[in-house]
Amino acid sequence: MPLAGFKRGFPALAVLSEEQIQQIHAATLDVLEVTGLTFESGRALQILRKGGCRVDPEAKRVRIPAAVAEQALRQCPSSYTVRSRDPARSVRLGGNTFYYSDMPGRGILDLDTLKVRPATLAENHEAMIVLDALPNFHVLCAYTPYFDVEGWSPLMSITESTAAKIRLSTKVQWTGYQADCEKFAIEMAQATGQDIIGISCTSSPLTYGADACESAIRFAEAGLPVHVVSGCIMGATSPATVAGTLVSFGAEAVGGVVLAQLTRAGTRVSVEDSVLPMSMKSGAPLFGSVSAMLHTAAFGQAWGRYGLPLFANSGWTNSKQMDYQDGWEKSLTSLVIALSGCHVANFFGGVYGELAFHPLQAILDDDAAETIGRFIEGVRVDAGTLALDLIEQVGPIPGDFLTSAHTREHYRREMFLPRAADLLSYQEWERQGRRSALDRAKERMAQILRDHTPLPLPEDQDREIERILARARAFYAEKEGS
Amino acid sequence: MEEAGGRVLDEMRQAVLAFDAEAVGRLCRRALAEGVGPLRLFDALREVITRVGEDFAADRIFLPELVGASKAMEAGMAVVREALALASKTMPGSSADGTACGGETVGAVARVALGTVQGDIHSIGKNIVAALLAADGMEVIDLGIDVPAARFIEAASGAAAGDPAAKGGKATPGRPVDVLALSALLTTTAAEQKKVIDRLEAEGLRGRVRVIVGGGAISQEFADQIGADGYGGTAPDAVRLVRAYVAGRDSAGKGDR
Repeated sequence: MPLAGFKRGFPALAVLSEEQIQQIHAATLDVLEVTGLTFESGRALQILRKGGCRVDPEAKRVRIPAAVAEQALRQCPSSYTVRSRDPARSVRLGGNTFYYSDMPGRGILDLDTLKVRPATLAENHEAMIVLDALPNFHVLCAYTPYFDVEGWSPLMSITESTAAKIRLSTKVQWTGYQADCEKFAIEMAQATGQDIIGISCTSSPLTYGADACESAIRFAEAGLPVHVVSGCIMGATSPATVAGTLVSFGAEAVGGVVLAQLTRAGTRVSVEDSVLPMSMKSGAPLFGSVSAMLHTAAFGQAWGRYGLPLFANSGWTNSKQMDYQDGWEKSLTSLVIALSGCHVANFFGGVYGELAFHPLQAILDDDAAETIGRFIEGVRVDAGTLALDLIEQVGPIPGDFLTSAHTREHYRREMFLPRAADLLSYQEWERQGRRSALDRAKERMAQILRDHTPLPLPEDQDREIERILARARAFYAEKEGS
Repeated sequence: MEEAGGRVLDEMRQAVLAFDAEAVGRLCRRALAEGVGPLRLFDALREVITRVGEDFAADRIFLPELVGASKAMEAGMAVVREALALASKTMPGSSADGTACGGETVGAVARVALGTVQGDIHSIGKNIVAALLAADGMEVIDLGIDVPAARFIEAASGAAAGDPAAKGGKATPGRPVDVLALSALLTTTAAEQKKVIDRLEAEGLRGRVRVIVGGGAISQEFADQIGADGYGGTAPDAVRLVRAYVAGRDSAGKGDR
């Protein structure tokens, strides 16, 4: 049985009318067919031409006929399992199930100085153990969650990351690409008998770089899932309007879906909305903003009709520290994602953009994640929960419900007590030393590090991972030397 | 007495404020034909972009207007550069570096060439930096995206060339730039910045030009490692770096370079 996640118990948010969805869909097909996309890879151009696209090899421009695009979307499984090396930790993406992933950071946020610095190997190890332990966390993102870990060379960082995730957690992962590193990730997946999701990110507007094409093709060929990500910046790399960005984003994402399906029909594909508006004052992206939330809500609804697993980002915030702003920006965006019908929110641990990660943030996020997850599960209405007999039996005052068997039977389902949040009465809070949620998160982290041991990788598989790492190190050493 | 070409200069200013690059280029050519000197034209362009910069600082306009006006102004600058280059070739006794024209010199505070390095096609951050620098009174030569090291070297050595994709941006010889600004968004292309600096060393040009780097993949540590003179994490940082350089140069007096 895969991880349960949360089951949305009511229809997804509808911010668009049926007519608006049709308009966006038609415009998206129009862009694919008339404007087309650039694919900067000879191999991708070949696959796309063979699959019925009109290819201008000189300009590397590909026009995708509506029939090809719609066929590719239909070929995507709407729901599928991503296998972990521990079957109880697999996930079943799609349907009405909602999961959480994390938001990586370049480094760790130093809580005393608020500076971001590369994580040490020990800190990297700790973050992985925390993520492996947190009950509402399901899917590991492309990094461990740090881009910069002391002792890892930049070219080896994704490969080291992939290996560390396999060794330190049984939660499934997706992985990044650069300079052919996806070859090693695929070998690691095969060596440990699990799925690793490969990503392919667009370079907006309307372009797939050579590495992104290669990653999609290699993972699809290996029979592994492909995760297509578009991170348009509204007003910079896509139109400033939510509707225009839905079209531009949509054309990019469908382009990746088509490449994956034409490489191997039936490939398990997911699509991620990583769209942000740009601050028109500084040029910096705006995290947690209302237009990003509206875009995500519309993405969940408009893409819901295509029926494939959808991801969106909520782990980033404009705040540079774990504070009120960081809490509301991240949680509100996560709630919108959960309500929109998307299947995974990349939420845990990120602090500012993709600049910083902190395991304490992940622990605080675990509370918000469960609150949101429980919310979308909705209200259960049946004879038992309606409690009609009980209401009649208890009657007006002095009747009460506290001592009834019905309460004992049902209250746990209805109640959620966050683990790090401070829920004490004022007096009790004074007595216990006025601890904040952050203080409590630190205690929870210490407890996790004391009590939790990830399921170790079998020795023979561990040796195989080491062999793959050694090959990768030699490969990049030669590359850097040349 | 009315200034020569006064009306066409007014129209040109309006065209910058209407973000109409094509019209700015056309009106600048007409101004030259009506006897406006290239340096007067340059001053008129700078006046209008300075006003745009003030509006931006005061939150009256935002990046879409600032970048639009700066692109329009760049079309005019290309005409000015062309005229100056022509003048230096045809006028006997003019300076070989192409900027002196009948004893006049372009009065920009600093001359900055910028571009996104080879292998990287990201342009937005670079465009914002270009707009902010221009609005701050710098002369900006936008080399474009996916710029090979050799083109940065040309700019540093005085063979200044604008973005070939931009109208009127064809190569014109000129004074060497004071600052090279290199952008890279991808971790895989960041190393290209080092290549440019290494080439400058090899060609003996490193001492003549300040190199500043920025972009998503770049950090202060990386900038130090590759021997850049400055690192900017944001577009306003780039302006601060160039200003600091100008202040240093001016206080050190002539012959600093």
